[in-house]
Amino acid sequence: MEDFLEQMAEIMEVDNVNLSDELTSFEAWDSLTTLSIIALADDEYQVSLTNAEIADAKTIEGLHQLITGKQNV
Amino acid sequence: MKIKFSNKKISGILSILPANEVMFEDEMHNYSFSEAKSLKLKAAMGFKSKRIVADDSTTGYDLTVAGLDYLFDNDLLDKNSIDAILFVSQSPEYIMPPTSNLIHGKYELDEKVFCMDVNQGCAGFVVGLQQAFMLLNNEGINKVVLCNADVLSPKVSKFDRNSNPLIGDAAAITIVENTSDDTSVVGEIRMDGSGAMALNVPAGGARLPITAETSELYEDSFGNKRSKNHLVMQGDNVFNFVQTKVPEQIKNIVENTNDSSETIYYFLFHQPNRFMLQKLADKIGVGREKLPSNVVENFGNSSGVTIPVVTTHNLGEQLENTEMKVCFSGFGVGLTWGTIIMKIGNLDFCKLIYK
Repeated sequence: MEDFLEQMAEIMEVDNVNLSDELTSFEAWDSLTTLSIIALADDEYQVSLTNAEIADAKTIEGLHQLITGKQNV
Repeated sequence: MKIKFSNKKISGILSILPANEVMFEDEMHNYSFSEAKSLKLKAAMGFKSKRIVADDSTTGYDLTVAGLDYLFDNDLLDKNSIDAILFVSQSPEYIMPPTSNLIHGKYELDEKVFCMDVNQGCAGFVVGLQQAFMLLNNEGINKVVLCNADVLSPKVSKFDRNSNPLIGDAAAITIVENTSDDTSVVGEIRMDGSGAMALNVPAGGARLPITAETSELYEDSFGNKRSKNHLVMQGDNVFNFVQTKVPEQIKNIVENTNDSSETIYYFLFHQPNRFMLQKLADKIGVGREKLPSNVVENFGNSSGVTIPVVTTHNLGEQLENTEMKVCFSGFGVGLTWGTIIMKIGNLDFCKLIYK
């Protein structure tokens, strides 16, 4: 989880992120951050995400659950 | 479909790029994003300049003909030696007739010269090579002129930050021949039609003709504006497909032929953007220097023509003077992904020209 929060902070270009933060609330949020999340999930967690799934995840916590949920399939 | 041929070779490659150059910054203010965000995208994707036709009246056929004129004028190709013409494109001159027949007519080629258009995009060079090799197995066919041409910039919205920064136009002519030398060509092409609409132009075909309604701009959830006459791409699905299927395919071909990717000098891939190609190199486990990714920043992504462009731009002189084993791989619209591993070199020409 620590790693994931650091990775997300880097993508969102902030010092740190909280689990409850909404994805769209970040200043950096756009199609490039979405692609960066897709690439991160592929590189580090070996799962494929779509734009729609990321949008549905809504928060940092939701995104973490989405990734770990897919890993356990 | 597996690809396995012997006694075939490529004897020349010519890329034709529009002389008109457009810089990323020239168009950045069309996008509904801050300058800072657009510059961040530029850095991540490797956008810089691209070559697109100066106006919509220049077509893929025009670029192809400029290339053929160059080859005939410089005695690099003998008109009478051509047995077949393949024209691979997603931007043909007309719905009918085939563009390859127009080329046949322009140069007054013999009636026995076979012509065929192939509708393929990002994998168009690999599919075109495969078709050329198959034709060469017919008696009396010894030289195939493979034309790849894509002028898709008029089909992309200037207000679409997803596609407009990366799109480029180009054509290429590749000469494919039979040879008595004991050569080996191996590879595979796969398709997944369930993803056919991941890259598409909704209007302009029989299903949805162009009307005033299809020409209206709409805005997507990321703030990009395009109409139904424009190319639309599901970037997320394309990214996932490429990162999964392409490394798998290359691994399988290498293993099935008891080869090793160490023996491959260069990985000459379709050029979607630098970001995707660097990730691909890492995933396949080859050094990024062996998988050139500099086409989008210099010329743009010209769909089925990017493999000839990456080859002529990076290895032009080298391939005129030496021979090496390379891996060609094209992937995208269809969904189609195809890979060919073969030796190439001592070419009659391996050049890039501007029109």
